[in-house]
Amino acid sequence: MSIANSGSGTVSNQGIKIVGFLCNWCSYGGADTAGVCRFKQPADLRIIRIPCTGRMDPLFAAKALIYGADGVLVSGCHPRDCHYAVGNLYARRRLEVLQHFLPFMGIEPRRFRYTWVSASEGQLWQQVVTEFSDQVQKLGPNPGVGNLLTEEGHR
Amino acid sequence: MTNTELKQSRDLLHQQVEAILPEVETVIGWTQGYDPIHTTPTFVRDAKAISRLTWNSFCSQNLTGYLVKTPAIQPQDRAKKIAVCVKGCDSRSLVALIQEKFVSRDSLYILGFPCQGVIDWRRVMQKLPVGNIRAARVEDGQLAVEHDGGFQRLELQDVLARKCLRCAHPNPLIHDIVIGAQVPPRVLIDKAYGDVEELEQRSLAERLDFWRSELDRCMRCYACRNACPLCVCQERCIAETREPKWLTQYMSISEKVFFHFIHALHLAGRCTECGECERVCPMGIPVALMKEGLNKIVRELFGYEAGVDLEAVPPLLTFTPDEAGI
Repeated sequence: MSIANSGSGTVSNQGIKIVGFLCNWCSYGGADTAGVCRFKQPADLRIIRIPCTGRMDPLFAAKALIYGADGVLVSGCHPRDCHYAVGNLYARRRLEVLQHFLPFMGIEPRRFRYTWVSASEGQLWQQVVTEFSDQVQKLGPNPGVGNLLTEEGHR
Repeated sequence: MTNTELKQSRDLLHQQVEAILPEVETVIGWTQGYDPIHTTPTFVRDAKAISRLTWNSFCSQNLTGYLVKTPAIQPQDRAKKIAVCVKGCDSRSLVALIQEKFVSRDSLYILGFPCQGVIDWRRVMQKLPVGNIRAARVEDGQLAVEHDGGFQRLELQDVLARKCLRCAHPNPLIHDIVIGAQVPPRVLIDKAYGDVEELEQRSLAERLDFWRSELDRCMRCYACRNACPLCVCQERCIAETREPKWLTQYMSISEKVFFHFIHALHLAGRCTECGECERVCPMGIPVALMKEGLNKIVRELFGYEAGVDLEAVPPLLTFTPDEAGI
């Protein structure tokens, strides 16, 4: 989570940055398929490959958003298609809770999305990324939760 | 609770503890603190100490944490039990700890106290910034306080802990013996999330401002985490580990907010709303409100209430393949 260390300063204001957490077995392959098929995709996404959405700690997403990432996209295998049988079923509950908790804490919930894309669904991947990127573009840069140490010399 | 009823309850408590003491290694209970509005935990191991135990409207601490937090109180002699005093809210923590197998029901003797609400001494001090309280008692829906400057009555609404004003479970849900008469719930569970709903009415930006200003006071003393009976990671808590390193020591607002995200999300679907985190916060931050928000979400999504059913599995530790709506 290098983007999130508070010592590393703010996220640059040239364009937006979306952090994508992609399951190794499905969505990472799906993104690859989209690339191989030369589907046009927005370049805002920085992909972090995770072994399974079951590995996805909701805190990964929370930390990225608190420290100023403009969007977080989580994508894994369709429910019932998990490589490890049940990882995404646990993830679905956790991520749904996070989706509701973010606005309670005052964080824009439209900056977060979780979705299911399989390795063969290059086209669906293109659609998901484009839609989400457009949505985050409209919201503009994420101010983050706090003045990230640049002011008042917190360090 | 009249004073006679309280006295009866205390006598019953003393008799009961005396009766069970041969099969119990330690009794965890409350005793009078340094002034009449404070009580403090006490650990009774022999008959001489039984008279120390007390029960009144100032017994605010949830004692169940002592069963799991290092140095956890566990029976040295396997044949013996640990006895613990619980109010309605505390009994829910116990249910959650038993569900998650942190303690075993067989090793416990549970003394349950139906509770009409406990006094938050900080709220008393806000109303009565005086030193040296000589006597205090609850009578006729008021708290009567006798202090150096005279005698005063405070409305209970103004001095009860926030958790008590929204209490739906005043009676212990799990117990070996109940001491005192059953108490009707103050609110029904459907109405227990008023504070959360009030915050939900505000705009996103107002909510962020609210949490920013509240959490800006946080000095990350971690008292909320330490007091929480269900925060069981202890020396492995990711707020303090170097590997993985989630948090630095910088005092920026992001670090503070993120610490509370860690605390709250680790309690999602587990928090029993005992209010310990908020009680111990030295900065008066409504820490429990975050967990109440999460509990409301969990209730709406999964229809689950933590700490009421010994057989239930907390919703985030399980799944249903065909969940509709999410």
